[in-house]
Amino acid sequence: MESRAEKAISYLVLSLMAVVVLFPVVWFLLISLSPETSGAISLSRPRWSNFAHAWQQAGFSHAMLASLVVVVASVIGQLVLAVTTGYGLGVLNAAGHSVIFPLILLGMMVSTEAVIVPLYYQFRSLGLTNSWLGLIIIQTGMGVPFGTYWMRATFRALPGQLAESARIDGANSLRLLWSILIPLARPAIYTLALLSFMWIWNDYFISLVFIADPAKQTATVALGVFQGRFLVQVNYMAAASLVVAAPVLILYVFFQRQFIRGVLAGALKE
Amino acid sequence: MVTEVTPRLAAERATTPTRRGRPRRRVGVSRRYRWVGLAFVAPGLLLYGFVVLFSLFRSVSYSFYKWDGITKATWVGVQNYTTFFTDPVLLGSLGHVLVLVVFFAVLPILLGLMSAAMLGRRQRPGAGFFRWVLFLPQVITSVVIAIIWKRIYSPNGPINASLRAAGLDRLVHNWLGDFNLALPALGVIGTWAGFGFCMVLFTAGVAAIPNELYEAAEMDGAGAFRRFLAVTLPGLRAQLSVALVLTVTAALRTFDLVWITTHGGPGTSTMTPAALLYKAAFQNPQVGLASAIGVIVAVLCLAVALLITRVSERGS
Repeated sequence: MESRAEKAISYLVLSLMAVVVLFPVVWFLLISLSPETSGAISLSRPRWSNFAHAWQQAGFSHAMLASLVVVVASVIGQLVLAVTTGYGLGVLNAAGHSVIFPLILLGMMVSTEAVIVPLYYQFRSLGLTNSWLGLIIIQTGMGVPFGTYWMRATFRALPGQLAESARIDGANSLRLLWSILIPLARPAIYTLALLSFMWIWNDYFISLVFIADPAKQTATVALGVFQGRFLVQVNYMAAASLVVAAPVLILYVFFQRQFIRGVLAGALKE
Repeated sequence: MVTEVTPRLAAERATTPTRRGRPRRRVGVSRRYRWVGLAFVAPGLLLYGFVVLFSLFRSVSYSFYKWDGITKATWVGVQNYTTFFTDPVLLGSLGHVLVLVVFFAVLPILLGLMSAAMLGRRQRPGAGFFRWVLFLPQVITSVVIAIIWKRIYSPNGPINASLRAAGLDRLVHNWLGDFNLALPALGVIGTWAGFGFCMVLFTAGVAAIPNELYEAAEMDGAGAFRRFLAVTLPGLRAQLSVALVLTVTAALRTFDLVWITTHGGPGTSTMTPAALLYKAAFQNPQVGLASAIGVIVAVLCLAVALLITRVSERGS
């Protein structure tokens, strides 16, 4: 069994690790509240207006709207396609299943770098660069492999009897999906929604490539521009950073289990 | 319930010839709805085909051309690939990846193993809190992580301030502006961000190792460390290979971190393949070369994944 000393050392090391992980984040939070632009922390009079000021300076009214529109539309798009393809492949045993499914799985191994260059020039010729719609199409399309893999596995894990009896009661394929399978798969769908939200909100590379127009930039790209320009006003930079990180962080506080379980399940897909 | 079961069994008997093993019937698996099924698959498949597969195909074909993005492209054969493997900057970026692998993969995995072992198999009190904290960097926007660390490393940031306070002025550096230090400094960020993920992966794996193995090892008189080597490590083979694949490919694909902090500088000392791809594709268009870089990165990611999976399977 474990000795007292072993236990104490474990807690000590774990606490040290926790401090190392938390320090940069907490330190940035303190800077963001401090009136000093130099990045020195003085909390005798925390200045919450830093956030409003940074919001304005970084043009976040535009950028947050852009991120919100792109993320919400892409998450919905990803979910719809994940559910339909997952259902078609996992439950209805779609014609060509044995070819289509590996083809879609291939997408999980293709890195963004391998597609982004022609995608950009393709979308430029279609007039879809500098456009939220273009970004939404890309994010939705790129989400198909993981979403399909995820929903197919979810549907396959459901008991077969349910579908059989629904069929006998005369339900068609759409009714079966909508009123029997989707309600049962709800927890998995929520987890997928959380993961998609996080991935798309946090994306920088794709948004940077496809949106050059400052009026249409997403929050991560706008933050990148802001930090390059306002190097000397550290407190505003910290405030702006926290604003961009906040939506996912807030979700993480409430849905920690789903995040961790989802990321793990996604990682262990092989 | 009974009325539901009977027709199902009857149907099963009628459609599937009795084979040995369990009946392989899942949710409504039948051939009746194959074409309806294809209709459900079609929208996702088409969009995916257009965005991913078609672009992948075009990446490969672009990579054989020289094109500035505007005028007419000319066929150059494998020249873009030979350029990649002869140009010191391009080839150097792969060398940088090797350094990053130490920080993105090796260190996080070691730290992850250590913290998972310390969390214990029976999830000691407070385990949930530590897991929450150590996993946190996984959900923070990469741009924000880069900005935070850029500040930490800045000439008057907290690292240098504490060195000065400790009287170690000799060790004060402009961390990200130094040709030798910038790359490992970036690597440390990857270690910071990644080890919590490895820990979570390993704790899940450790929990799945049967207790009897530990008891048997204990009966043989194995101490905690021996048990770790003889039972825990082999039991984590699958998780270790997943962690390796994900972290090594992350190192290969590093972009956000570099682009926000150093833009590949000073000089080209922190240039990564993805940063070079971005420059070649969009700043000073050599579209063919950029595509070739994308293809090389993808092939390397795939090779890494196959190699690691193969090795881990052979060992078991």
